[in-house]
Amino acid sequence: MSQASGSIASRITQKLGSKEFRNYITSTHFWGPVANWGIPLAAIGDTQKDPSLISGNMTAALCVYSALFMRFALAVQPKNYLLFACHFVNEGAQLTQGYRYLQYNK
Amino acid sequence: MATATASQSALQRFINSPAGPKTIHFWAPAMKWALVIAGIGDLARPAENLSLAQNTSLVATGLIWTRYSTVIIPKNWPLFAVNLFVAGTGLMQVGRIMNYRMSDEYKQKQQQEAAVSSA
Repeated sequence: MSQASGSIASRITQKLGSKEFRNYITSTHFWGPVANWGIPLAAIGDTQKDPSLISGNMTAALCVYSALFMRFALAVQPKNYLLFACHFVNEGAQLTQGYRYLQYNK
Repeated sequence: MATATASQSALQRFINSPAGPKTIHFWAPAMKWALVIAGIGDLARPAENLSLAQNTSLVATGLIWTRYSTVIIPKNWPLFAVNLFVAGTGLMQVGRIMNYRMSDEYKQKQQQEAAVSSA
């Protein structure tokens, strides 16, 4: 199973086909964070919409939530970088929405 | 005056446990209840000001994590409970949004906007 003389493409396909990767893709360690990505994606979409749609309460709660879960993702064993990335992006998106909300509701 | 761990009260053992209130493992899931409380507060907002994208994403993540919290080792019942409620409040909001979109008021607005944009 030597990869010494593979091209980049064949090495990538080998990695993707490995048991380790397949176990990861079918784990809750992967799909839990995938589910959570809906929240930042929704927020990013909402930055292009009217600010009257923003819920101040929910945005504030999500800011605190993502800050705590960025820490949580790095504190669990094993560290969950996908979850960290999700909450990092969400923190940015929610802070953006929070800013828009405050500007709109002056 | 022995101070062996056996003499620690249940409360002390809980407070000092590896997933106890001194750690992020406790507070992060506990804090997720703020999403439920914000969601309940949002039930008072008018349906036309709700974000369908945000609420459906909360339902999806709530349902998936409700399932996963019983599948991970160890099972995490606090995580199960909070995500069940996140999904529940999200579903109520989605219901309100869909209701509004089927209402006459909304259809009138759509017609007005169509009229304005085609004028």
